[in-house]
Amino acid sequence: MPVLVPMPVVVPGDVLAVRSWGMPDSTFDDHGLPRAQPRPLGLPGHAETDLQLLIQSVVDYSIFMLDVEGYVVSWNTGAERIKRYSAKEIIGKHFSVFYPPEDNAAGKPRRELEIAVAEGRLEDEGWRVRGDGTRFWANVVITALFDETGQLRGFGKVTRDMTERRSAERALDERGRLLAHLVRAQELERRRIAWDVHDDTIQSMVAVGMRLQLMAGQLPAEHLPALNRLTDTVNTAVDRLRDLTFRLRPPGIDRDGLVEGLTGHLGQVAGEAGLTYTLEHRLDREPPPETAIVIFRICQEAVSNVRKHARASTVTVSLTSADQGVLARVVDDGVGIPQGIDSLVRNDHFGLIEMRERAETAGGWWTVRGRPGMGTTVEFWVPALPHTGD
Amino acid sequence: MTSVPARLTVLVGDDEPLIREVLCELLEREPDVDVVAVARDAEEAILLAELHTPAVAILDMRMPGGGVHAAREIRERSPGTRIMAFSAYGDIGSVEEMRRAGVTDYLLKGLPNTEIVAAVRRLGARA
Repeated sequence: MPVLVPMPVVVPGDVLAVRSWGMPDSTFDDHGLPRAQPRPLGLPGHAETDLQLLIQSVVDYSIFMLDVEGYVVSWNTGAERIKRYSAKEIIGKHFSVFYPPEDNAAGKPRRELEIAVAEGRLEDEGWRVRGDGTRFWANVVITALFDETGQLRGFGKVTRDMTERRSAERALDERGRLLAHLVRAQELERRRIAWDVHDDTIQSMVAVGMRLQLMAGQLPAEHLPALNRLTDTVNTAVDRLRDLTFRLRPPGIDRDGLVEGLTGHLGQVAGEAGLTYTLEHRLDREPPPETAIVIFRICQEAVSNVRKHARASTVTVSLTSADQGVLARVVDDGVGIPQGIDSLVRNDHFGLIEMRERAETAGGWWTVRGRPGMGTTVEFWVPALPHTGD
Repeated sequence: MTSVPARLTVLVGDDEPLIREVLCELLEREPDVDVVAVARDAEEAILLAELHTPAVAILDMRMPGGGVHAAREIRERSPGTRIMAFSAYGDIGSVEEMRRAGVTDYLLKGLPNTEIVAAVRRLGARA
């Protein structure tokens, strides 16, 4: 059975005296809190006083008591700050004044007390009304307080203002939707560019290359060196364009999942570059599709950098669920990076900038570290919470 | 008595005119190769393959109607025709998709002409 703790109980004034808990009015201050004085409670006098002081001083929580009918009988600094009533204004009033009209019309205050009595406590989250008429998003816990004989003595009510957190969550949710749109738009655009390059540019260049080779058999020998150089140039351009389309093309993770998509990518890229690769994954669950694409694209860019610049023999990619997101590392054993990597990220290294922007746009972070001759580590974290309402 | 040398008949299917032209020209320079049909899309390739039953069909994988579709149909309608996929894509997914369609020979666009001809000859020899 819940035990009645020494809570500040009080009602100053004649009208409210009928709702007092049997303590003389002179014992209470302006906040309705007992003045420090010896009382026959279960705690030593100083502990009780300390506890009252604590309750009174807490500003982040509105902590107050209701009598058995729901009238306010005590108030603290947090309550004054959050609900914007002074103790004098609110003590003696029914707690239904904190509820919006629609909740009162629906009988919510009374119902909440009934539930608290039946179940010992009630927790609710919803809009509440301040003394100045504004609303705030509240987390409310109502605890029914019974004395040693099992008789209901009132209710303890603890309220937190969650407005800022709710706004932040909604902003995150909104951000999630925006990210999803952004990622989808990026992927569509990449796909379009990949097809355009493949279907148009590469085909033309290939045809030119084939034609040049045919011409080589018809031209006088003195023109052959120049023609061969042209052919080589065209072939190199075709290789670069093919590499571009490869990097732009859809990763296929919507079909196979992040780990499979990344495994396939690493298999191809590392194989071509003569790199030994390892993919370690400890994921609790598959990230949302847009997050998976963000992770894939950052890893893709990091591995591309390893291939182009690191002169490494091994690359290890690890994916780990952490802090409601995915922590990823791409580690190589190559030549490392010079000091002052920040300037690289700031300046013309678009690959690095793109990686960081992708992670930060997704609400995460990205970093690169390494020393000359000691390999390079790209590390990033992105949140992987499914967003709602999309 | 002289025997008539066997002719290697080839179908070229590609929607890119520049590729079609240069591929035809390249192959026809070979004394024993005949380009018997040229198609611009999958449906045309299927019909012409059925009509001419070439020894080899060179199919662009991304021509209208889909090279994979054309390959499946040609294998059905002209079982003796060996199919060579001709594509600018060299990724594992594309190769796997073609393999599922029964195409095991794959030529990446951009290889030297000599390799293209050699590949067609190898395939024709198996026809």
